Amino acid sequence: MDMPNKKYPLPRTEEKHLHQVGKPLVRTDARGKSEGKTRYAGDYVMPNMLHAIVLRAPMASATLKRIDASRARALPGVACILTGDDTSAHDAATDLPGQTGRQRLNTDNQILVRTRVRYHGEPLALIAAETRAIAEKARAMIEFELEPLEGVYDPEEALKPGAPIVQSHDNIVGSHKIRKGDIEKAFKDADHIVEKTYRTQFIEHAFLEPEVGMAWVDENDVVNIRVSTQVIEHFRTIAEAIGVAHNRVRILGALVGGGFGGKEDITVEVYLALLALATQRPVKMVYTREDSWFGHGKRHPFVIKYRTGVTSEGKITGSKIDIVADAGAYVFLSPYVLLYCALASPGPYRVDNLQVDSVAVATNNMFTSAFRGFGACQAAIAHEQQMDELANTIGMDRVEFRRKNYLKKGEPIATGFCVESEVWTEQCVDQAMEALGDKSPARGPLRIGQGVAAYQQSYGRLTMMHDTSECWVGIEMDGTVVVRSGVTDIGAGQGSALCQIAGELLGVPLERTVIYNSDSAVTPLAGTSTASRALYMTGMACKTAASALRERMIKRAAKELGVQIHHVDLANSKAFVVGRTEEFITLKELVGHCARDGIHRSELAQFNAPFTDPIDPETGQGRVHPDYVYGAQAIEVAVDTDTGEVTVLKSVAAHDIGQCINRAAVEGQIEGGTAMGIGYALSEELIYKQGQLMTPSFSEYLIPTAEDTPLEHTSIILESRSGLGPFGAKGIGEPALTPVAPAVANAIADAIGARVLDFPVTPEKILKALEASTAVTT
Amino acid sequence: MTNIKPVTLEINGRQETIAAPNNMTLLEALRELNHFEVKCGCEKGDCGACAVLIDGEAVDSCLMFAHSAVGQPVTTLDGLARNGDDQHPLKKAFVEKGAIQCGYCIPGMMIAAQSMLNKNPNPSKQEMREGLGGNLCRCTGYNKIFDAIEAAASELCGGGKG
Amino acid sequence: MLHEFEFEKPQSLQDVLTLIANNEKETAEDSGHVLLAGGSNIIPAFRANQGSPEVVVDLGGIDELRYIDVGDGRARIGGRTTVSDILDHPDMPTLAPALHQCCKIFAGQMVRNVATIAGNIGCGSPAADSVPPLLALDAEVVLVSKDGERSVALDEYFTGYKQTVRQAHELISEISWPLPAANAASLFRKVGRRKGDAITVVGVAVHFEQENGVCNSLRIALGAVGPTVYRAKRAEALLRGNAVSAELIDEVAQAAAADSAPIDDVRASGDYRKQVIGTVTRRLLRQAAGLDAEGGANHD
Repeated sequence: MDMPNKKYPLPRTEEKHLHQVGKPLVRTDARGKSEGKTRYAGDYVMPNMLHAIVLRAPMASATLKRIDASRARALPGVACILTGDDTSAHDAATDLPGQTGRQRLNTDNQILVRTRVRYHGEPLALIAAETRAIAEKARAMIEFELEPLEGVYDPEEALKPGAPIVQSHDNIVGSHKIRKGDIEKAFKDADHIVEKTYRTQFIEHAFLEPEVGMAWVDENDVVNIRVSTQVIEHFRTIAEAIGVAHNRVRILGALVGGGFGGKEDITVEVYLALLALATQRPVKMVYTREDSWFGHGKRHPFVIKYRTGVTSEGKITGSKIDIVADAGAYVFLSPYVLLYCALASPGPYRVDNLQVDSVAVATNNMFTSAFRGFGACQAAIAHEQQMDELANTIGMDRVEFRRKNYLKKGEPIATGFCVESEVWTEQCVDQAMEALGDKSPARGPLRIGQGVAAYQQSYGRLTMMHDTSECWVGIEMDGTVVVRSGVTDIGAGQGSALCQIAGELLGVPLERTVIYNSDSAVTPLAGTSTASRALYMTGMACKTAASALRERMIKRAAKELGVQIHHVDLANSKAFVVGRTEEFITLKELVGHCARDGIHRSELAQFNAPFTDPIDPETGQGRVHPDYVYGAQAIEVAVDTDTGEVTVLKSVAAHDIGQCINRAAVEGQIEGGTAMGIGYALSEELIYKQGQLMTPSFSEYLIPTAEDTPLEHTSIILESRSGLGPFGAKGIGEPALTPVAPAVANAIADAIGARVLDFPVTPEKILKALEASTAVTT
Repeated sequence: MTNIKPVTLEINGRQETIAAPNNMTLLEALRELNHFEVKCGCEKGDCGACAVLIDGEAVDSCLMFAHSAVGQPVTTLDGLARNGDDQHPLKKAFVEKGAIQCGYCIPGMMIAAQSMLNKNPNPSKQEMREGLGGNLCRCTGYNKIFDAIEAAASELCGGGKG
Repeated sequence: MLHEFEFEKPQSLQDVLTLIANNEKETAEDSGHVLLAGGSNIIPAFRANQGSPEVVVDLGGIDELRYIDVGDGRARIGGRTTVSDILDHPDMPTLAPALHQCCKIFAGQMVRNVATIAGNIGCGSPAADSVPPLLALDAEVVLVSKDGERSVALDEYFTGYKQTVRQAHELISEISWPLPAANAASLFRKVGRRKGDAITVVGVAVHFEQENGVCNSLRIALGAVGPTVYRAKRAEALLRGNAVSAELIDEVAQAAAADSAPIDDVRASGDYRKQVIGTVTRRLLRQAAGLDAEGGANHD
């Protein structure tokens, strides 16, 4: 058995000492938020403003026979009511938010229900009035008649012939196949075959700030929309939905009070734009928490079935994986979530004989779309539990079994792409397990279990989308730095990271940098804050821009200092001679020289991701993503065998994130992802019965509180500097979540000697599993 | 419209008047009065984003009518202040410990923290968990929030227990 | 919220009683005068269009009902005493251990600061967490009205799901209980779907006294597993007056479970609740009897 190798390869990218990158600096957005001065989209008011709300369908599957807003329109103070008849001219696009590199699929949605309701909460009407109270009164006066239509609420049912059709001609809205090697031979070569089916549940983003925005039409007939969004590039699809030119819609993205993928699709924008155009007044729409359950797509539930062959020595011979996703009532991003899941389904392991069949199926449940992890999260819940089951079947230690199967750098992933960055899964698992330490002692009714989960999570968007990102960096006459970027800051410090990068390259401390971001009219478009791409793509655009500017400044400084270019460095707002720090000029002086010489004191750069064609539809082979992050989580739980309740005692996360930009921000993402994953495994579930949401409040949909997080948590941050992002960075936004829920599930299975295959792993299911396993053994 | 009496509320030491229907909550009144530092997360008392201090004790402003708050000193995040340029120790600690991500839960979180510190100047980690159990955060996992409160407690009254 | 109403904030108990004297019916669901204490139940209810009162009577000014007194062998709390008041009182861990345990994990800090014990009882919900501990403590409720006052045992207070003996012109002015004996064990365990601020799935409170190995006092109160919080009296009778043993405790726990009829809901099934009644009752009784050092109650 090989001893875990603790010496890591030397960094491959530049080895120069970093002044700011990697440090836990105070973020640029922190102070404003701490003072309550930061304005979110709902914190603005405008003179003459109207308040708008949505009337929603109270049932999941129905025909709208009639809707009559005439009494409501007559109520004093009501400015405008729109129904499906008023919004029929256009539909709203939902395919691939905010991208230009690929032809958009026509999965456009009705803006308001015309004749058919497909999900509980689907919008029937928009009401704008002088006050919110009047709008609510008016809403109660709208008369409508819904005739229930037979619906379908389970994807496996929706696939059967004769099922009610929700989308397409057969309810199938996406499918992907992977065919690699020879699966039949793999099963013949196996000593054991393990077949298990894992099920995951509907999950809600539960960002603390519900969806919100405000729109107004200005003197140039530009529709301005201030909105909490992850994607300012929606201006294009909004423009088409309302029938105006692209350059007449402006999105002012506010700082976002949490997104996690739930503000990746359009939410309130089109409604606001239509109302603003109809009334020619500013209109504000603030979703209540009740709206929010129905206001954005949820995380896809998945059914993932494995049939995996393994030798007694511990080598996986092959895997046949069948995946069914519930796409809910509308397509949105289901085909892509499905692709991510299919690709991730074997896990970060070498599986040469692979057959994956996956399908996303429409139902009359709430529509499902983007959520942190985007299908790879669900795959991890399945593949990491399957790995433990395989290990148990052959009687091998779970970590040693993984060690025999890890994918290594340069080896092909499920789609045949060979990863070129470091693949430190083994080191992450080993370090996480070591830090977890010995099992805590059992006491009373408590049984203790430990579990580990490894993962492969992409960063950057699908390469077939030909993703790009822009950033502008400039330096002022006093030596302060300005960054301009469309990037939306959704709480992970996306904006501050760009300041830190620009500051690093230009030798300016973070407090002397500022970012103006998120305005589609004036900030260069950076693309979405999704897919763990903001640091990679916009960070590289920022680095490219700042580097070009740096080069010009260094050249001019060298001339001033009378040395060669490679003797000059920038730091602490100075340009100085390396090794002779008393020979310097201030940046302010340097910029003055540049200005007088007509040297360009700013730079706009575009960074392109790798571009590919879509993968082969028959084999699923090809490059799908730019690159992947690898890591692991180790968890220890105490299970109360009286009640099934679970306490997470210890948690260790180990991720190779390439290079930290802001170390505290990386830790924050890991800690937040850990909490989110614990909720995913234990307590969170949106329950739909016949499509009706049964859990429409935070007292029924239970996210972890301060009392539910691990009693002890450690983050181990490994930096291989091998990523495609700035300074060798990869990403952390999604990876922070991906391994957590499966690690919790594995720990519980270890504690009770039985496995619950259905998420969430509730106390009730744990007691049932304990009972079943006692029955078997007695 | 019936039932709209002007009410005067004492907010952060100032008298502020608003025409408040009887069914207007304190949260609605505060935001009408441009106190945007008070956030709205659920309007049911499940999330704590709207927490303010009433006479030094944290309450969910969505669970109180504006009229009920008459005659009681209300403190929002703006009321946690120091003179001059120095930040209130809680705010400073939240900033320095990296406890703020999207920031939306933060006003309520700080109010709950201050309320807890008002009664218990040196809370243990477990006491912090109990004190913040009614403030949901989806971004941070709470760890750095505990670190910040510990640091602030230290500065506010000297010493601190783990 | 849509519903509009008159608002009164009287400054004395007598003024409150005058205001509600003519109430014929009154719950959040019906019209009339609705009493507002902490607001954590009725304000969300109003927002959800449950209830259309004509007048909301804010009890926030009735300081005379906010007290915790001890004397004559009883502890008494006023109708405006909050959950936080219970936690702030230095002697409550000995005056009412199970009540103190329940208050520690009651909702979240902000709700604890305003929610009253009387309001928690008054809402009549079987999931009201303060009721099992108070029932196990053999508490009594004083109802006052313009006509006078009457005392009702908490054991007789609930008549059905969210139905109580309180009439619309009455108000809970005091809750009291006999001080537990020095050697009494008073324990509470709440089982929920997460640790922080969760609606109770099963709540069990136990009050146990023994002398020379014989149990001479036993009350088991169960919450969230029936239309009201109730005492598992048949189970209690199996142990009361008898020698304490592990086997008998198992029987008591099984009887408590067998006699329960909990429903299915989004949080848990009836079968699970039944099972947990048995396991938790057993664990609490074992801890109370000194057979186990710990492991039963919340916050050991």
